[in-house]
Amino acid sequence: MQSYARRLPVYLLLDCSGSMSGEPIEAVNQGVKVLIDELKNDPQALETAYLSIITFDSKAQQIAPLTELMTINVPEMTASGCTALGEALYLLKECIRQEVRPNTKEYKGDWKPLIFLLTDGCPTDMEIFDKEVQDLSSLHAANIIACAAGSSANTTFLKRITNNVLMMNTLSAGDMASFFDWVTSSIKVSSTSLNENPGASFQTPPPPEGFTVIP
Amino acid sequence: MTNKIARAILMDETEIEYVITDNPPKGLMKYTYFTPDKSKVVQFFNSKEDAESPKVRERLEKIVGIYNPTLLPQDGGALGGNQQTVEYFDKLFCWPMALVKSPEFGVVCPAYPKKFFFGSDSVKAGFNLNLQGKDKKSKWFTSTVSKYLSDFEKGNLQKMLCISIALARAVRRLHAAGLAHSDLSSNNVLIDPQSGSCVIIDIDTLVVPNLFPPEVAGTKGYIAPEVLETINLDFEDPKRKLPNVKTDLFALPVLIYEYIFKRHPLMGPKFHSPIVEEDDFLSFGPEALFIENPTDKSNRPEDLKITIHDLGPHLEKLFLKAFVDGLHNPQERPTANAWERALVKTWDLLQPCSNPQCPEGWFVLYNIKNPVCPYCGQEIPQKDVMHLRLMKPVSGWRGHWQSSGEINLYDQMPLFIWHFLANTFPDEKVQDRAMKAYISHQNGEWYLINRNLEGMLSPKGNLVPAGKAVHLQKGEFFPSNNKPNALLLEILSGA
Repeated sequence: MQSYARRLPVYLLLDCSGSMSGEPIEAVNQGVKVLIDELKNDPQALETAYLSIITFDSKAQQIAPLTELMTINVPEMTASGCTALGEALYLLKECIRQEVRPNTKEYKGDWKPLIFLLTDGCPTDMEIFDKEVQDLSSLHAANIIACAAGSSANTTFLKRITNNVLMMNTLSAGDMASFFDWVTSSIKVSSTSLNENPGASFQTPPPPEGFTVIP
Repeated sequence: MTNKIARAILMDETEIEYVITDNPPKGLMKYTYFTPDKSKVVQFFNSKEDAESPKVRERLEKIVGIYNPTLLPQDGGALGGNQQTVEYFDKLFCWPMALVKSPEFGVVCPAYPKKFFFGSDSVKAGFNLNLQGKDKKSKWFTSTVSKYLSDFEKGNLQKMLCISIALARAVRRLHAAGLAHSDLSSNNVLIDPQSGSCVIIDIDTLVVPNLFPPEVAGTKGYIAPEVLETINLDFEDPKRKLPNVKTDLFALPVLIYEYIFKRHPLMGPKFHSPIVEEDDFLSFGPEALFIENPTDKSNRPEDLKITIHDLGPHLEKLFLKAFVDGLHNPQERPTANAWERALVKTWDLLQPCSNPQCPEGWFVLYNIKNPVCPYCGQEIPQKDVMHLRLMKPVSGWRGHWQSSGEINLYDQMPLFIWHFLANTFPDEKVQDRAMKAYISHQNGEWYLINRNLEGMLSPKGNLVPAGKAVHLQKGEFFPSNNKPNALLLEILSGA
């Protein structure tokens, strides 16, 4: 029989600028691997979650199109260049437009995409950033969680993108692992309980120790 | 990885050791450590609020004690239990055994038996998936992800019925004590289709009579429509519908339906709204519609092949009652007891399919005039079809009999004490679970062979000693044994 299960699109927007080189980018690569493996162990997430990865350095690039967890292939990420966050937002918008299916009479559409943004700096393409932030309202059908990593990350910019901003104090492998662990739990929770209630806001598990929620 | 042994002090001042691991398995509510011998788990709450809540503590004290069907009454367990029922329910529930008071409030539970964990060969070759050591949540077997599992893990209709009977029985036991599970779902019921067993986990969200209910929202797909419909109201609002026995009686048949059909009873093509959240809210809440609703077919998938009709009259009737009459009317929902009975009656009608390529291997042969396997289309020759109608005496009406069920016969079919004595039901109270007799089907003839049923009688009324056979012929009607509550057997054949 045809499946009437919906997909939960998940986009990871990952900062690969020069300042991420060394331990941080290693930790991001490792974190994404663990995240995929962990989600595959959860039958609900395995059935519903579809993952895409967009990286940004001097330019933005979708290195993994929206794919089911069993077949996703994530190339090794390297860090260099500056922080084209504006371009990344533009690309995200385009990807969602193309990949996320609306709900129609003919087929079951996708749930609201979940977007996790991780950056350790501030956008270097301010003009595009300003325009894309304005334009983000066209993405109102998405839940965005932004995480500022380390002391040089600027949360003011992130606050313009979303109300859900987290701050992790260091770029250490340990903090990075906690972040991906938390993203994993958030996706698991979403796949079982999200959208039961049309009016409710997106619920994430409490952030890991050492992370602060930026009000 | 650093493993270190820690000690927890229980409420009765005894100590228990557990192994602290780096990344303990974490659920939505609690995280888990094993004891060094892995026979028990020690669980602590994720949130301080839960750990320190007097409501949570009071509820758990009752659950571990006077509502505990896995503990003898003389040891502080539920009234009415005996050694036999305690052992029986110990297999069906992962019931909390003790509460931890130090280092912080927590719960001790038995570890699930090994059969509820995947092994190294559980995933089909060629798939990049490692499930070794992961627990067998029902969802693995009832959704599209089952395609990744090795065939031997998946069971068949017979095993799924066996699981459903066990689950209905477990829920019936909870409800008999006034308890409601409140979050029955494919995450909280582990199943092993290979052996046909199940275990209910996460018992700590039980709704205990006269205590404040737990604030669980439930799990997507298993929340009763009336609960979802009022979920936006304040928790204290009298109009808000909270999980209770009646909402369990929605989740129970959803699980049974999923085990048998590998699909959800409400997930069909009907479109309610272009906004996904609203579409889901309506299709699982106020506008929920059974995909097999006989009159309103607007949610019926076009390619529905096997339906509730193929399960025979007992289950078809109950599914209609649960998902048509009772979907928006909780009072109409069949009880767990009714499910248990209907499932057992359906079990008695199982027929092994003679087609070796049949994807299911078994089907319910309820109509002797039309013995066709719905899964593969195989027709069973009339000479190979025979039913026994079991008749029980009507008390106070000598010579009057009423039907107490019908069983479908096949070669090597085992028969038990409840097939021979009236008012005997194969539940946790039956002491004698050994095979009493079996069916042999040779060269078109049917025989009932006595293994060790005392006082078995032949159609002519002669005693049939153990090891001897009775020839079964169409139309015969005779008492099966010489006990006062013996069932009469009436032999039916389509030929």
